[in-house]
Amino acid sequence: MTQADPFPLSAEAGARPVRRRPRGTGFKYWMILPAVAVILLIGLFPVIYTAMKSVQNITMFDQDFSYNGFIHYKTLLNDTRFWKALAHTLIFVAVALPLELLLGLAMAYLFLDRLPGRPIFVTLLVLPVLVSPIVAGATWRLLLDNRYGPINQIIGWITGTEQTLLWSVDPNLVYPAIILAEVWQWTPFMFLLLWAALQNVDQSQMEAAELDGASWWRTFRLVVLPSIWPVVAIAVLIRALDLFRLFDVVWALTKGGPGTMTETISIYAYVQGFQQFETSYTAAMAFMVIIILAVTVTIVLRKIEIDR
Amino acid sequence: MDRRQFVIGSGALAGLSAVGWPRLANAQAAQKAVEAAQAFRGSEVTVVWEAGLQALDPLNFSGPMWEEATGIKVNIVEVPTSEMFTKILQEHRAGTGAYDALNVVPAWMPDLVRAGALEPLDSYVEKYGYGPELETIAPVYRDNQMKVDGTIYGLPDDGDVLVLYYRTDVLNDPALQSEFKAEMGYDLPVPPTTWKEFDDVGAFITEWSDGKIYGAGFMRESTYGALMFQERFRNEGGRFFDPDTMKATINSDVGVKVFTDWVAENKWMPKGVQTWGFVENLAAFLAGDTAMTVSWPPYGRWAAGYGTDTEALSWVPKSTIGGKVGYAMTPGGHPQLALGFALGVSSSSRNKEAAYLFCQWLNSAEISLQRVQLPYALRDPFRDSHFASEEYKSRWPEAPQYLQALQDGAVNGLLDLSIIQTDRYEEVIRQSVTRLWSGEDPKAILDDAAAQWDSLTERIGLEKQKAAYASWASNPAAYPA
Repeated sequence: MTQADPFPLSAEAGARPVRRRPRGTGFKYWMILPAVAVILLIGLFPVIYTAMKSVQNITMFDQDFSYNGFIHYKTLLNDTRFWKALAHTLIFVAVALPLELLLGLAMAYLFLDRLPGRPIFVTLLVLPVLVSPIVAGATWRLLLDNRYGPINQIIGWITGTEQTLLWSVDPNLVYPAIILAEVWQWTPFMFLLLWAALQNVDQSQMEAAELDGASWWRTFRLVVLPSIWPVVAIAVLIRALDLFRLFDVVWALTKGGPGTMTETISIYAYVQGFQQFETSYTAAMAFMVIIILAVTVTIVLRKIEIDR
Repeated sequence: MDRRQFVIGSGALAGLSAVGWPRLANAQAAQKAVEAAQAFRGSEVTVVWEAGLQALDPLNFSGPMWEEATGIKVNIVEVPTSEMFTKILQEHRAGTGAYDALNVVPAWMPDLVRAGALEPLDSYVEKYGYGPELETIAPVYRDNQMKVDGTIYGLPDDGDVLVLYYRTDVLNDPALQSEFKAEMGYDLPVPPTTWKEFDDVGAFITEWSDGKIYGAGFMRESTYGALMFQERFRNEGGRFFDPDTMKATINSDVGVKVFTDWVAENKWMPKGVQTWGFVENLAAFLAGDTAMTVSWPPYGRWAAGYGTDTEALSWVPKSTIGGKVGYAMTPGGHPQLALGFALGVSSSSRNKEAAYLFCQWLNSAEISLQRVQLPYALRDPFRDSHFASEEYKSRWPEAPQYLQALQDGAVNGLLDLSIIQTDRYEEVIRQSVTRLWSGEDPKAILDDAAAQWDSLTERIGLEKQKAAYASWASNPAAYPA
């Protein structure tokens, strides 16, 4: 009995040998196929479906499934409310994200040392992340209530005069109120990731820097930051995406008001899609947001890859 | 109501059914519904109901009664008012048949009918002989909250109307009255009948009492503010649209005056009134912090302490003003019939007949009288027989005056705006209210709102909307005569 040659040559003499894939190599692809299929079904199908709906004309009364061209995209480009909502969203990202990062980093540094009761403090700090965002928003609405809320009361004690700050109405206070609630809830998330990253920084490098007399800032910039950079980048990316679809806290606190002053993309999409039933228009909006986010994420991931 | 009270009440009602109904002409519709529903014994009907207190009616009272009488189980899906329209329409689009009966705000009915979500009810009304009892619903609800284009789609089931509540002890205080006359040059009106009088009295009380009691408090939060704007704007002579061109006219001088007056009023109202909703305003009034307010009928019942010792109303602050509250129509004399509910049947229901019969039974003269007297359920009198009920009048000493104020409101009330996609227009007003509280100029806000309305009209179709508005505006209850 002869063993079959796994790489048989062509029958023709002198012909170039044809390299064949070893038997069983394709098996690994078959193994991951179900998972890929599920991901495609869950992830890609809604995107394709959204794209299809965006070129139809489905409204509260019209179920027009025929091809309608790119009219909704054209309308969207001229929709000032959409661009304002996008700008409001970017403001939230631009302000809340650095705050969460810096506070999370500061807290992570603080908890690097083995303080007494550290596990209890860490558990307490993480609690806000476990709260549903809409519940967090409702809680902050109560906290900031001008009549019964403790925050006005505390400010009143500090200033010595009765305070009736209208956090959900006053244009000077609505953004701080939302950002306060958002930072309160999600800083612990940053803290957890950065805390884990900081614990993995090479201690020998830290000691070497210390022996060389490097300042804290220099050590952080040249030793710590490069080591935790991939984690920082991913944490920032996750939170940026979260903030980009900010809805719950804003809805609970201001419903996008006063007027549309704090209306985010998610809120505008909700209003258009589920209150006014502009289904196709909302699909166009969603698809445009998907494109913006996909491009942004691709660029960021590529940048992270390059930096590594 | 505890279980024991419920069982006794159900037994009494069952007894009344067996003995009294054949002799009571106005009980026939309920009896017919129960008899016809026997054919559906063992089935279930799922009903969309406003979340919270409203839902306690079918959960604690009418639902169990119906199940006991017919063997049909009632499932209640509680939905916040602000999401009811969305949920109903989404379910209709999905065609799941998840909802059988619906509570719908009458102003939404035309939109839901256009979307095909509501079942026409004429044939059921005819089949189960409900016509005569439908006729005894107070005319303003019967004529305006039941039909769309001549077809019945809802059974008016809630006499919502805004009422002016005022503290009789404060406004009738001789010292206040004499000082008011000395300063203002006319007798203090009890109650104020115009917004000018209301503002004079309210501002004077705040100043006179040195802030110990405010002249008035209001629900200024945008959801309520938008309804209050509709009412006051029309009472002051405003019109929503030019009927010829369909151009929005909410930015007229009247609209600007209403917004400007609101900002001025806030100065003599409690601090932070801009954020007040139903509960905040109620708490302030029941605590005796404000001398006047405008709200829906439950305020009057709770201010009198009616049923507030029940568990369901344990959250209502204890009234400190029982016996000291007067009821009247809102200034201008044409209160808004704000919101309200009608009972309808979902077009995608798989149990339409049973769903309709449950609605007929609920809405019947006999059962509805029991329901509007439930202290916690927020259903307000909507039949002539409710306003005239001796039983209801005996509920608290001032109940006769209360019922009279509600009936006056029903006779003189103004309908909510109801055109194609009304909510989109109302959303603009809601946003305008929030902009007003943020300090923007009233004229600029309303100019922008009018532009948005015009753009909406353009999008929906000018001629279509013009016809819808003409139909609505031709109703005597659309604008004050």
